[in-house]
Amino acid sequence: MASWPESTRLIGKSIPRLDGLAKASGRAKYPSDIRPEGMLFGVLLTSPHANAKVKALDLEPARAMPGVKGVIALATAGETNVIYQGQEIAAVAAETEEKARDAARAIKVEYEVLPHVVTERQSTAEGAPKAFAAGNSRPGRAQTAGKPDEAMKGADATIEATYELPVITHVCLEPHGLTAEWKGPDSITVYASTQSVMGVANDMVETFGVDASKVKVLTEVMGGGFGSKFNADVWGIAAAKLAKEAGRPVRMFLDRAQEHLIGGNRPSAKATIQLGATKDGKLVAMTAETSGTGGRGGSNFPLPYVYHVPDRTRSHTEVFVNCGGSRAMRAPGHPQGCAVMEAAMDDLAHKLGINPLEFRLKNLAETDMVAGGINRTEIYHEQVRRGAELIGWGRWKPRGQGGDGPVKRGLGMALHQWGGGGAQDKQVACIVNPDGSVELRSATQDIGTGARTILAIIAAEVFGLEVGRIRSNIGDSTFPPGQSSGGSTTSPSMAPPCFDAAVKARDELFRRIAPGLEAAVEDLALKDGQVLVKGEARLTWEQACRKLGMMPINVVGVFAQGLSSTGVGGCQFAEVTVDVETGVVRLKKIVAVQDTGLILDMLTWRSQVYGGVIGGLNYGLFEERIMDEPTGVMLNPDMEMYKLAGATDIPEIVVEAHDTPEMRARGVIGVGEPPTISTAAAIGNAVANAIGVRVPKWPMSPMNVLDALAAAEGKA
Amino acid sequence: MAEHENGTSTGRGGHSRRRFLRGSGLAAASAVLTSQANVALDEAKAEAQAPDGPEALSGDVTLTLQVDGRELSCVVEPRSTLLDTLRNRLDVTGPKRVCDRASCGACTVIVDGDAVYSCTTLAVSCKGKAIETVEGFETGEGGVPHAFHQHDALMCGYCTPGFVTACKAFLDANPGKEPTLEDVKRGLDGNICRCGTYIGVFEAALAAAKTMKGA
Repeated sequence: MASWPESTRLIGKSIPRLDGLAKASGRAKYPSDIRPEGMLFGVLLTSPHANAKVKALDLEPARAMPGVKGVIALATAGETNVIYQGQEIAAVAAETEEKARDAARAIKVEYEVLPHVVTERQSTAEGAPKAFAAGNSRPGRAQTAGKPDEAMKGADATIEATYELPVITHVCLEPHGLTAEWKGPDSITVYASTQSVMGVANDMVETFGVDASKVKVLTEVMGGGFGSKFNADVWGIAAAKLAKEAGRPVRMFLDRAQEHLIGGNRPSAKATIQLGATKDGKLVAMTAETSGTGGRGGSNFPLPYVYHVPDRTRSHTEVFVNCGGSRAMRAPGHPQGCAVMEAAMDDLAHKLGINPLEFRLKNLAETDMVAGGINRTEIYHEQVRRGAELIGWGRWKPRGQGGDGPVKRGLGMALHQWGGGGAQDKQVACIVNPDGSVELRSATQDIGTGARTILAIIAAEVFGLEVGRIRSNIGDSTFPPGQSSGGSTTSPSMAPPCFDAAVKARDELFRRIAPGLEAAVEDLALKDGQVLVKGEARLTWEQACRKLGMMPINVVGVFAQGLSSTGVGGCQFAEVTVDVETGVVRLKKIVAVQDTGLILDMLTWRSQVYGGVIGGLNYGLFEERIMDEPTGVMLNPDMEMYKLAGATDIPEIVVEAHDTPEMRARGVIGVGEPPTISTAAAIGNAVANAIGVRVPKWPMSPMNVLDALAAAEGKA
Repeated sequence: MAEHENGTSTGRGGHSRRRFLRGSGLAAASAVLTSQANVALDEAKAEAQAPDGPEALSGDVTLTLQVDGRELSCVVEPRSTLLDTLRNRLDVTGPKRVCDRASCGACTVIVDGDAVYSCTTLAVSCKGKAIETVEGFETGEGGVPHAFHQHDALMCGYCTPGFVTACKAFLDANPGKEPTLEDVKRGLDGNICRCGTYIGVFEAALAAAKTMKGA
């Protein structure tokens, strides 16, 4: 079993990211910034209808427009059934983007518009049009453990409620897209905004039948993915086809409306749940009927979540709508499952008259073993105790005691978990050159997490060099196979082979310079840019590397057991004020406690947790895809009516790393997803605590808050 | 194309919205409004004094812009935005296109001292004006980009040039003052980040203000 060094100089410290200044100074070139010589601008024409047959498609008017160099159809007249607004119809490449847009508009498409269903309500309404041949919904079989109906009868208190969460979209700031440049008839270079250079490369190989050795996908930096950017997509393939047709490079990125419509989304969730407990606060049973929509895709989510419910049954129905398909989004399924479960837990605690913090701790499984012999239940207990201190849970009062005036104050909390863990088949190359320069290479990419920087930190730790001395060269599909950036798997997949590569390179350096130093290999060490022999500095790093002559060190590191792990927990607390006259919720403070094993860079780790919390507060307070039932179109495919937090919406956020020797010993675990899971749940519970009424629908918008208050007063 | 053919080269079409948004914020309202009022007044005077009245433009227009102290020429259409001109024609790609509707601030540049949304500013309206982009900012210690880097005020980094530019414009507009956290939040409220880097952004802005005050 491999292990990380016991005492570290760099690992776990706060180290600014390597590409931070390039990004902050506008000098970093994103895929959407790159303009190869002769590049044309691509524009995608998409369907304005949610459900329609393409009866006729005439590209000729576009071809006749000035500056147009290529037009291709992405739909077939008489064959294509458009099943959501935004579905791809055609693509154009022209000398300027303005001219390409004109040309796309000039394409003549004749649609036979069909009745649509664009919301869960519309899709499941009696007499709803049959928008999908196999039916508008697909009920799943009940998943049952024990005898929930019988057990429920033994409950001293039960709640039954329906909770709902909306569809939200990823809103990657750099839209999906790529720039395709053919380097010859059978060789292509692609600058892609992607979470997977290898995924996009594979799409190009499969689509164009070119040799994998002649496909290069480059992603030096990219502007956000959140789970939605693993493939070339229809528009990326279209760019490559247009580039081939025109004999010139083509840039094709979605516009903002298209990004909302077809760039992916997080499915909605609805749960009618009955939860029962004994009077001393032990859960006995749960029955739940849930549903959700991911367009025509899946929408399932974990339930029960975190807590142990001995007898339970749950069935999930997929509801299909004429909207763009869902894609993985930061902790797929977990934010929904967490919000539903934590709302039910809170409501039941209220009914029982038990402090919801105590109620939660009482209902964790006795043992919840995760990798490395860790009982997560014990971790939760420590995390909840710490979080409670940081938020001041001692101030908690039962519901409805949020203050006498119209602005009520409340506290809420929620727990979450994530698996994560890494792949075991990834590689990192480490090259040490005779001039002393060090390069790491792998076909992974940095989507903003700091992946580039953590690899350099690991190598710098091993070589006794400063982090800035390491060139961390990733985002190139031709390098040794690297991990796609999803599921919080990048760090645990890439850190072990990186460490292995650096150790192998160091050992080879020692082997090659030891004879000249008349020293035994085991007497050599590296520290502060020096080679030590039996603890005494004998050569600088550069002098040592010069002894490599004309032959650099070039080794490949692979996975090693013991350096990474899986299975984390965390909890979050929220303090809010709610104006019961306007329904406006303001966040006062959020506390996030999180464990993720060995933290490689405390600075970028904290940024990830802040980012997760802020993503979660967007989900809790603001975000919602609003579909217009009569017309079938999205009403807010922009960044004005699709609400995201701005600077003045950000409360005090306290991030607490559960960073103990026991956690560090587990090795590396990713942190991208876990801290975004429970924020919306904690906010929902804080709102209920403030106003004394459960707001059953997210986001906690003025409308949903006022509706809940009106319902409670019997006015709904 | 008919609707574009009579595009005119007015001095104020593009960035009035940004000014409105900024002006509608509660922060430093008097200072901002005063400077806006002065600019509007100057523009009105200049327009009144123009000998030939508004200039009508159509089709391809050769345009020279002053970007980060350089004279850069290209061919645009009267409808071309300043942002698309910078990015697609001049390879000044620091400013980013995100919402393309003056909502998110990723495209922010400084035109004659004012922070504007370049996605809703016509390029032809910027003739003869000094355009500052993030690419021209000082990158050494004491500069705003350095503070953003040190405080990890960025993740994917796509909103970052806009935040850095808005931050610099905000600090330049309040020389010698050390803003509070609330001032910084209000000053940067015209920008949106999706990765959730706001906490780092606030820290960076406060640190940059401190350095600039000390300088």
